[in-house]
Amino acid sequence: MERYDVIVIGAGFGGPVAAKKCADAGLHTLIVEKSQIPGDKVISGTYIPATAFMMGPSWIREGNPPLERAAYGVKIHFVKGAEIYLSLRMTLPSPVAYGAYCRPMCTWLAEQAVKAGAELRTSTTAADVIKERDWVKGIVTDEGEELRSEVVIDSEGLINLLAIKAGIRRKYIPEAIELCIEYDFAMANADIEEIFENHIEFHFAMPEEKLIAPLGQGSVVYLFPYRNSLHTCIGQFLKHEGKVADTSKLLDTYYQTYFNTRRWKEVIGPKTKLRAKMWDTCPLYVGLFPEMHEMPRCGNGIILIGDAAGFEDTSTGAGIPNAWFSADLAADVAIEAIKAGDTSAAFLHRYDERWQAHPAILPSITDWGRRNLLKAQQDESLMVKLAWEQWFAPIASFVPTLTQIRPEDLAALLPKV
Amino acid sequence: MAEKVILGVEWIPGTGDFIKVVEESCNGCGDCVRVCLAKCFGLRRKKAYVKSLDNCFECAACWFVCLEDAIDFSWPNGGTGFRTEFG
Repeated sequence: MERYDVIVIGAGFGGPVAAKKCADAGLHTLIVEKSQIPGDKVISGTYIPATAFMMGPSWIREGNPPLERAAYGVKIHFVKGAEIYLSLRMTLPSPVAYGAYCRPMCTWLAEQAVKAGAELRTSTTAADVIKERDWVKGIVTDEGEELRSEVVIDSEGLINLLAIKAGIRRKYIPEAIELCIEYDFAMANADIEEIFENHIEFHFAMPEEKLIAPLGQGSVVYLFPYRNSLHTCIGQFLKHEGKVADTSKLLDTYYQTYFNTRRWKEVIGPKTKLRAKMWDTCPLYVGLFPEMHEMPRCGNGIILIGDAAGFEDTSTGAGIPNAWFSADLAADVAIEAIKAGDTSAAFLHRYDERWQAHPAILPSITDWGRRNLLKAQQDESLMVKLAWEQWFAPIASFVPTLTQIRPEDLAALLPKV
Repeated sequence: MAEKVILGVEWIPGTGDFIKVVEESCNGCGDCVRVCLAKCFGLRRKKAYVKSLDNCFECAACWFVCLEDAIDFSWPNGGTGFRTEFG
């Protein structure tokens, strides 16, 4: 039977970051990943906020990760009928976020962990935990192989089957879970530059337009431009006030409405070629519901990170920054625990103290910026105000920090694209 | 028969039956049918059943929405199921 110091579940965004730190510290570290290639099954968007690189491990920003492009700002459009009737724009002198495809990013992150000495087993599902009384002592793979560990760092994502089997989490409620359809389109770089001008875009509308889910009950229309391609995303929460959403009908309706807007039909759409249609769930409101927010994030022999720990940003839906921050903290605690010979929940509890003290994690998972939109269903001007608050206010609050950093120092905190 | 091809995504065979309906717990509410974008579920004789997992994205919307815990969701066998380079 194989024995490891640390077994990391998942080679998504958080897992490899934790694994690299453990391996760098000399721990015998294994990552188990259910896909054939890390990132195969990760459908995420995605634009990674600049703060993830500035506050995350330096090796990520310095290591030349496979990023697509930098966004210097955000445009918010308000739609009525087929027309955009109002647009707001916020632009900063340095990038606010970086677009990336999940598969190359996760593959790159996993490679860094392997270079540091972690073992990576792909096509290997962690099907169960090994529990001795109340203590997680390792995992059992889907092939029935037992792999022992001192600490499991669980980065399995929002479908946290293992954490449930370990007895420290329950299934999230459908009111906190959103289902999103994402399209990928090929699009020439020159067209992207001209149309998007290095901005990501969000489209809001009143509920009767059927462009998006009722306000606060889903993701508005996202346009995320990459180097030679574009992602669009629309989402709807699975349940609201006792009613399960007919997502299989609604999401297609919203997309139909969006693709009938004049700007898509005449300006963007003709320059795109559809390459992929995908969907996935995301645990957007987990942090806002006390019964889920207050669930433990560690147990005897196990620590949860990223979406598995309920660390998705409750307003923007960003998961990657907190995945990286929590991975870093979890690795530190695992290293200390193994050195001290104490992997009890009582020892590992210092992880909770640290993530709660982290400047970004707790504020982001208790942010009501999106959920406040529930109040605007019949109030168009409130919708505009809250949309501003949701997307522009956090960026605006970033500006004083930016202006205090010398340009050359700022460049050192950001990745190159 | 479920549409076998969705643009930009492939399905690797050998998954096993990784999503099952626990019949004795199912109350026939149809919520799993309502949320599944891959049309994996149907209803017959007032119980949900898995028609096909051919286009399943393993999103677990069915699992999240079922309050009776009648959806037994697990991962497909390692290295199988859907994958995409465009996520």
